[in-house]
Amino acid sequence: MRSAPEELKESREHLVSQFSNGTVSANFRTSYTEIIDHYFRRSLQESEAGQRLFADKERFAFVAVGGYGREELCLHSDIDIMVLFDAKISAKAKELVDEIFFPLWDLGLDLGYAVRRIKDCMVLSRDDFGVLTSVMNARFLCGDSPAYLALMAGLQKKIIPEKATAFAVWLDDRDKIRMDAFGDASYLLEPQLKEGIGGLRDYHHMLWLAAAFFGLREPKDLEYQGKLSSGEYQELRGHLKFIWLVRNHLHYLSGRRNDRLSFEYQEEIARRVGFKDKDGFLAVEQFMGRLHASMGSLKSLHRAFVRSHISARSGTESRSQRSDVASGIIMYQGEMFFDSSTVILSDHCLLMDIFDHGSRLDCTLSLEAKRLVREFLFLVDDAFRKSDQVIQGFLNIMNRTNTFETLEQMYETGFLDAFIPEFGKVKDLVQFDAYHTFPVGRHCLETVRFLKSLERKQEELLLDIFSEFQNSEPLFLAGLLHDIGKVGKSHAHRGVEITRNILARFDYDKDATEDILFLVEHHLFLVETSTRRDLNDEKVIVQCARTIGDVKRLKMLYLITWADSKATGPRAWTGWIANLVQELFFKVLHIIEMKELATPQASESVEHTKCVVRSLLADKMNRLDPEEPFEIMSPRYLLNTAPQDVVRHLTMIQQHREHANNREEAFFCFEAKEDFVEDYWEVTFLAKDRPGVFCDLAGVLALRNINILSAHIYTWRDGTAVDILKVTSPLDRIHSVEVWDRVKRDICSIFKGRLSLRHRLGKKAEPSLLSNPKKPSHPPQVNVDNESSDFFTLIEVFADDRMGLLYLITRTLFDLKLDIRIAKISTKADQIVDIFYVRDLEGQKVTDKEHVNEIKRALLYEMSEG
Amino acid sequence: MKKVEAIIKPFKLDDVKDGLSSLGVKGLTVTEVKGFGRQRGHKEVYRGAEYQVDFLPKIKIEVVMEDDLVPEAVKVIQEKARTGQIGDGKIFVIPVEEVIRIRTGETGNEAI
Repeated sequence: MRSAPEELKESREHLVSQFSNGTVSANFRTSYTEIIDHYFRRSLQESEAGQRLFADKERFAFVAVGGYGREELCLHSDIDIMVLFDAKISAKAKELVDEIFFPLWDLGLDLGYAVRRIKDCMVLSRDDFGVLTSVMNARFLCGDSPAYLALMAGLQKKIIPEKATAFAVWLDDRDKIRMDAFGDASYLLEPQLKEGIGGLRDYHHMLWLAAAFFGLREPKDLEYQGKLSSGEYQELRGHLKFIWLVRNHLHYLSGRRNDRLSFEYQEEIARRVGFKDKDGFLAVEQFMGRLHASMGSLKSLHRAFVRSHISARSGTESRSQRSDVASGIIMYQGEMFFDSSTVILSDHCLLMDIFDHGSRLDCTLSLEAKRLVREFLFLVDDAFRKSDQVIQGFLNIMNRTNTFETLEQMYETGFLDAFIPEFGKVKDLVQFDAYHTFPVGRHCLETVRFLKSLERKQEELLLDIFSEFQNSEPLFLAGLLHDIGKVGKSHAHRGVEITRNILARFDYDKDATEDILFLVEHHLFLVETSTRRDLNDEKVIVQCARTIGDVKRLKMLYLITWADSKATGPRAWTGWIANLVQELFFKVLHIIEMKELATPQASESVEHTKCVVRSLLADKMNRLDPEEPFEIMSPRYLLNTAPQDVVRHLTMIQQHREHANNREEAFFCFEAKEDFVEDYWEVTFLAKDRPGVFCDLAGVLALRNINILSAHIYTWRDGTAVDILKVTSPLDRIHSVEVWDRVKRDICSIFKGRLSLRHRLGKKAEPSLLSNPKKPSHPPQVNVDNESSDFFTLIEVFADDRMGLLYLITRTLFDLKLDIRIAKISTKADQIVDIFYVRDLEGQKVTDKEHVNEIKRALLYEMSEG
Repeated sequence: MKKVEAIIKPFKLDDVKDGLSSLGVKGLTVTEVKGFGRQRGHKEVYRGAEYQVDFLPKIKIEVVMEDDLVPEAVKVIQEKARTGQIGDGKIFVIPVEEVIRIRTGETGNEAI
């Protein structure tokens, strides 16, 4: 016949193989406990030391304690056993231990044992609540049962009545320690199944409290004694069964006692407990959703149990009188109650009212009230969801400081899902990666929590921005709803339609609705843009600014971006990302505030230009990418140029490219067109950009006595300079064609290095008898402005106009190694007002004070000459 | 074997990554880093409060490769990461004494 240890080994191996092939699953715990129980009973019977003890009339019992006592053994759980002696510990006890317990260690089981007298046990339990909890769950195995009964009676009579309150406080402390050490497992991505908040310990705490306060003997008493409703108890069993099953698989797969469900095991366990990929959701995502839901329910059941049954008794919460809050709703001892269940049937709105009043009074719902909310969720129908009173209640909650806490209760009771069914569809969704810490629903609540924290927190810039909002309700709604489209790709777009429906149901303010829809659609915009696009490119910023449109939306978007990222997880909002997003925020803010490039009118006019250009170029357009021709154009150019001219320039640039391909670096396009009505000429000049190219053009025109009245110069992204000038008519009007030909020849010579403008113009400027020696009536003025643009230094020049002045100015800028990217030249009467957008050769703004002063001095010197 | 280490602008990461994988580079490490070089930080003022940014966000990529791949890799990184403006970053080439694949214990070029 097999020995007891052999039998244990075989039965255990058999059970494990049944578990691994799936024939045994949830009933593993009871089967395993039976196997262990059987071992102890049989080996005590067969034990020589045991027989001698019985013969000596030594009274002792084998008692299962801890998790083993509760019959909750998972594969690698500790097996805790106590050898309980009635009066004194026999000298033979050691032999007994050697004989019966040592073989278990040889089998690799984690056995913990204690040999104690009843009296020791009582003293220890009084002083150390850790011992008390393990003894509370003691279960008689074999030996002398009166010893066991004496211990239990002693605890019940002497220890528990005296220590119950202290014990409750101790458990409350344990909860805090658990929270610090393991976090809230009901939404962490790698939950701790046992000690985490929402883990099995929550259930144990309920059992212990019930044992201490109501004399609970076994778990079923929770229901029998009316501490939980029958529905709640069934639900509790269901959740526990699931968590135990997961835990057992985790033990099996990791080959040791392991309660932290890390990523590496999640997919395999999801498969083992029967989840399959479906409707675009991975099995593991559904599995984690289910697990989080179970742990969340366990957590809230535990909390509510403590609040309703323990806090008041143990005096940890101040007592207060029962007071009528509103018709049908009562506040009692800091908790909200319904007057009775029937009042809900006669006034459905109470389901929302109780949350509204609770948030107003900063009181939570009682366990009883939560139970009633759950049971009456069927009353939440379309009519309820559209009721003005209900919606008003919901919006009241959104505007209070404890929005998050209230939403959390609505979430736990399932009321939030019922009220916003769209939310219920995504709330348990888990994204299986290391980036997202929470399932979607929880993430949305956390986003609201972060937004709410702005009302009282440290982030200075965000706080400043936040405090500018008179009405932040739309911001909070956007925070709650931003991920509501999260079923598959491009969730932000999908979210817009869903959110639109919800807000329509609320009959929400039209403008605020548009803001919220905008935020939902663009909640990833700032992060994506700041990490994927060049923030030193003005065009990128202008496009952002046009998408966002106004300062209010930009600010809301910035706040949502921050809160959303913070709520996603620690990796989503690092100082690194924060810097990039802040830079983008400021640059876009400046562009919008400048009211030039990104006003709605500007966006409209640019769209119109693009449209006309597309239709004019219909045959040449790339159909796949209708934006393509505009990619290289600067934002100012598109804003200031007529569509016909855009087409003309595109044709010119096409020729230019062909020549450039033939390595004719010096090639340029030049067109002069007379405006008969206004008596001036428009010159279009197009060439490969290099520092000094505009200076050359200005010089040539001066040389041929043509005065520049106004100019727009642009630099395109492909390195083409596009200059559009208004100039005075050539002196010889009859032979203007020849003049323009000469200008072209001159430019050509300069490009080839065969003509020195400095020398020619110098000669020309020598005073002639005929020239008018009139001195400037206004002294010239130069301003250097680094505030107006994040990308360029602006140099503004005011001076009396004269031939060649523009050449002088641009040559000076060229000498100072400044690159002119944009210039606006205009002449009013005989005064010029020129603005140059420049950068140094490294593409930076000129911020060095000395450099700035040198620019001013040099320009003033040049202009005061002659 | 050499380690090629490059500091680049964040938005250039995808381009550089694609460029390197088309060369046959087998793996690379990416780190979000902050620092400064010739490109200075900047300061923002909002409602009287100053927000100073001393260190600029950049991306560091590290790739270990056989010697003969280095010139091509450096060329690709330079091409892909270049905007022509300040702050485009730097590339370092560093000798590597040995590479060991932890799982198998393979060493040298096999382990890259």
